[in-house]
Amino acid sequence: MTSRNDDNNWLDSRAVTRDFDRAAGTYDKVAVLQRAVLERLFERLDVIRLKPERILDLGSGSGAAAAGLARRYRRAQVIQLDIAHGMLRHARRRAPRWFSRQRFVQADVAQLPIAPASIDFVFSSLMLQWVADLPGVFAQLRRSLRADGLIQFASFGPDTLKELRASWAAVDDSPHVNPFVDMHNVGDALVQVGFSDPVMEADTFHLTYSDVHALMRELKQLGAQNGLSDRRRSLTGVQRLRAMVDAYNAAWRQSDGRIPASFEVVYGHAWVPAQPPQQRTADGDVHVPLTSLKKRAER
Amino acid sequence: MDKKLLDILVCPVTKGPLIYDRDNQELISCSARLAYPIRDEIPVMIEDEARSLSHEEVEQWRKKQPTSVR
Repeated sequence: MTSRNDDNNWLDSRAVTRDFDRAAGTYDKVAVLQRAVLERLFERLDVIRLKPERILDLGSGSGAAAAGLARRYRRAQVIQLDIAHGMLRHARRRAPRWFSRQRFVQADVAQLPIAPASIDFVFSSLMLQWVADLPGVFAQLRRSLRADGLIQFASFGPDTLKELRASWAAVDDSPHVNPFVDMHNVGDALVQVGFSDPVMEADTFHLTYSDVHALMRELKQLGAQNGLSDRRRSLTGVQRLRAMVDAYNAAWRQSDGRIPASFEVVYGHAWVPAQPPQQRTADGDVHVPLTSLKKRAER
Repeated sequence: MDKKLLDILVCPVTKGPLIYDRDNQELISCSARLAYPIRDEIPVMIEDEARSLSHEEVEQWRKKQPTSVR
């Protein structure tokens, strides 16, 4: 257990921090973070009425989300889409019980191989932060969804790894941590490609590590680091790294010797409007028929 | 290759239809002139992993299409 210091940053998601620290010995923290985010996404689904026939899980990874989705929607076919072949094979082995309703596709979300209006529910947990052209991906997903379809996702927000970013900034001017898209604008992006009623929420998870190297080892797994391995090979790279670690420790190290790392997780969901789509007038206003407002309220 | 999955897959490059080549375990996109491999029964719908089709191959598949497509 981490003894919490008086840093105000520790105020939110206390329960989650506790879980992480308890699991530290047995799990890697990234896996625990992924699981906690999944639980929160599922909690939000509890209050959404949905009877999907086909679910697309974008960046399905280990298959944990798809297994949960198959349990939750017992008539749905779940399509697991991931860029990593090994992950898909692993996922197929992992949950043979659900295999009959699971499908596996290896693809890049930037080039989605999914037919128009074929999916009822697009789900994605902690993958969209790696996408370069988020509006472009949303537009493709919008086309893949049927009328009344739902997209729900979790992604990393810009405050993720703010300690690491600040520590590198103290050393040099080049970016070492991938910038995370400002998810606060994501609602607008969703509306622009034809989704309606976007709901966005954010949540910060505070993890602690024994030292900066332990944090960085784990980030490698997440793909969050940028060119760091190249830098490390040169002497200046080693010196810079040491300077960064010093800066991190000076600014953030807790009284118990551990170092904190923030992960800002942004949750969102939005609907595909029932036909006909909303009309946008020349002055930019969106006119929504009263009947469709009623329908939304009933959900 | 599972029919239910094939029903909803399109070419990632052109969004055009795909033809299932059972013998060679490939998904043929005439519109992109590409053949996507199926590895371990998992379709690999990635442009860089696909095989380019010759003009003759594309013509052959175009002729077969009415009976074998989707």
